[in-house]
Amino acid sequence: MKNLIRAGLGLFAAIALQPATAFAEGERMTVTGEFIDTWCYFSGVMGSTDAVVGSAHHTCATWCSAGGIPVGLLAEDGTVYMVLKIEGDDANNSGNTQLTLASDTITADGLVYKRDGLNYIVVEKIVENAGITRLTHEDFGAVPPFAIPEAN
Amino acid sequence: MRALLAPLFVLAALPAAAQDFSAGSTAKPWNLYAETPAMFDAKVVDITCEITGDCPADCGAGARQLGLLRSVDGVLVYPNKNAQAAFSGAAQELLPYCGQDVQVDGLMLVDPEIGANNIYLVQKIRAAGAADWVEAKQWTKDWAAANPDAAGEGPWYSRDPRILAEIATDGYFGLGLEQDAVILKELSE
Repeated sequence: MKNLIRAGLGLFAAIALQPATAFAEGERMTVTGEFIDTWCYFSGVMGSTDAVVGSAHHTCATWCSAGGIPVGLLAEDGTVYMVLKIEGDDANNSGNTQLTLASDTITADGLVYKRDGLNYIVVEKIVENAGITRLTHEDFGAVPPFAIPEAN
Repeated sequence: MRALLAPLFVLAALPAAAQDFSAGSTAKPWNLYAETPAMFDAKVVDITCEITGDCPADCGAGARQLGLLRSVDGVLVYPNKNAQAAFSGAAQELLPYCGQDVQVDGLMLVDPEIGANNIYLVQKIRAAGAADWVEAKQWTKDWAAANPDAAGEGPWYSRDPRILAEIATDGYFGLGLEQDAVILKELSE
């Protein structure tokens, strides 16, 4: 029994003490999705997830991207991939490439990683950029409303 | 025997979401659906480096998102937001601590239904062993220093040159200036 307990403790130690810097192999995937600002999407601070994507939220998405809020790629199946690089540009904190792509729906060829409940993507190539495809302003106007100039 | 081993396996398999880091936290609530106060020790890391092994010096010198490698369990926490209500992230707040051990206090967001796991709003930071906290409210000061020509009234995002250039090109809704004018007219009616 002592041997079994030792084995159990050893297994626990192996799990608990595994090196944090073990790099995972990325899985090559093609993902179609929208570049979103992850804070508004995850926090609900601006409303439902339906309201913080597409045209309604475009200006806010540029604010958040320029402000250094992480950009994600919201895939068609609802999976969010935190964006690490876009076509070699590693500036995922307020970078110009991700700013100019805010709210666009793209098809990406890239490497996907998973860690601690989050998905990550290195976009190696944007195969197609369909621009903004979710016309959410038709349902929500501007989100938030102060994203557009006040009417005179 | 099973009784002796079971707690070990349960502990090893305990998801981070189920752990409670609220003890001692003085984080201010934002009244977000999935928030929980969370104070913990961590190492500040370059997330892209941590995930892919591509590791430039100085955590990317401000170009990259920074993470918090939690000391107690090795979980990589993703700080999405600083403590300002100003559409500003957390990377610049953490950059002075690149590679260092810190203690942070803030709000953890966990909502697996939408993929939010280990998402963090950092409110204050202190180096390991330091007595004084630093509030995570530096972003707008850094922006103002980097954009002296954008001084004026209104919040930073209404004066930021890059944002203004995007709006001037694609409009507020990103659909082009012609369609933008139509939408703005419709919304004002």
